[in-house]
Amino acid sequence: MSDLWDSFYQTFIFENRYLYFLEGIKFTLIISFFSIVLGLLLGIAVSIIRDYYKQTGKLFLLSKLCDIYVYVIRGTPTLLQLMILYYVVFKTSTLSPIIVGILTFGINSGAYVAEIFRAGYDGIDKGQREAAKTLGLDYLKTMVHIIFPQSLAKIFPALGNEIITLVKETSIAGYVGIIELIKAADIISSRTYDYFFPLIVAALVYLFLTFILSKVMKFGERKLNHVISS
Amino acid sequence: MLYQVKKLVKKFGKISVLKNINLEIEENEKIVIIGPSGSGKSTLLRCLNMLEKPTSGCVYYHGKVLNDKLYKSIQGKIGMVFQNYQLFDNLTVIDNLTLAPVLNKLMSKGEAINKARKYLRQIHLEDKETCYPSDLSGGQKQRVAIIRSLMVNPEVILFDEPTSALDPEMIGEVLSLIMEVSREKITMIVVTHELNFAQEFATRVIFMDNGKIVEEGTKEQMFKHPKTNRLQRFLNNIQ
Repeated sequence: MSDLWDSFYQTFIFENRYLYFLEGIKFTLIISFFSIVLGLLLGIAVSIIRDYYKQTGKLFLLSKLCDIYVYVIRGTPTLLQLMILYYVVFKTSTLSPIIVGILTFGINSGAYVAEIFRAGYDGIDKGQREAAKTLGLDYLKTMVHIIFPQSLAKIFPALGNEIITLVKETSIAGYVGIIELIKAADIISSRTYDYFFPLIVAALVYLFLTFILSKVMKFGERKLNHVISS
Repeated sequence: MLYQVKKLVKKFGKISVLKNINLEIEENEKIVIIGPSGSGKSTLLRCLNMLEKPTSGCVYYHGKVLNDKLYKSIQGKIGMVFQNYQLFDNLTVIDNLTLAPVLNKLMSKGEAINKARKYLRQIHLEDKETCYPSDLSGGQKQRVAIIRSLMVNPEVILFDEPTSALDPEMIGEVLSLIMEVSREKITMIVVTHELNFAQEFATRVIFMDNGKIVEEGTKEQMFKHPKTNRLQRFLNNIQ
């Protein structure tokens, strides 16, 4: 028992080491939040550009660029993307590693979000678009008021998955010197040579975060549910 | 002249669905198109509102070639009622009705709601205003779809087998609404298998088979004195 207490004391209390955890949680939250927002914005924009090309044949070049973006992002490891952005693209810039992290995870997530939304649009009966067209609604109005809301309801579970994956994936940000949760745990255990508490606590924090997220998504799903029931 | 269809050909891949269709439609006509399944009735209808583009030949609307540009500029003047209703699943009944006229600035939100309520009273669904389409029966959905097409002041409404997806007991309510609408100055073109309805409704009947217009005429000519063997056979088979 006193061993366990000693381990706990060394991990958290001695030299105020819990501050590392708080710092880690803070950066994990910051990176997660902003990359989710960036990923959603980017993904939705890319999905709409590709859908616009598919429906109207316009914006060919932009749509092909979007295809390449999705292909490249999905075809390479996130860690590699992070390292390329940090060590190559922004090598000479003074950009904070946090920003590079947000950019990496946001750009990465955008590709998956775009694919999720594409599946959503493609799953809508094409008669819905035809009905909108015969009422005189153009592409954008149809998208905003009919196709997007219906798709959102259908893809919400998949979107929740993607967001949870993203939060967990931010754990590799330590590679470029960001003190996020895993890095914090790593720093502490390298001082104490005791991995038990740091790793378990990191795991519990992730579990807690994803638990909250899945509750939020479930709530959203219920709100949108009447749309799916038809 | 509202529509003029000249040498219209439509192919899907190698299959010719419409083979050289020529047709003229005057304003305010009430036309019924009949014919066996796969004869090209629905495809012809869908060529009249740009849901399908002709492979060759031309559709003229008020004497002008009906293309994307013209279609865009007439914004909803060619309405359509679909076999499977196509109400917008994510919107309530009232929003289904008011969305297009408000977004396209045909009327204010308040005017649109008043107009929608007037139509809803006419079809006795005023208590369904805030329901979603999934709460309605097939017949109710189709009646809402019909008044939705009226909301944007169409010149023409195309009906693509409006009762084919309905339970038999709901067919009557939809057909009688179509009869009511036919009193307005709107050109109506109906693809249907309901011959009794056709006899009551139509000012002209068109019989199609195998991608061609085989025979057309008034309902008396078509149903009482069919000229072609093919039409006689068709009428015998379904009666």
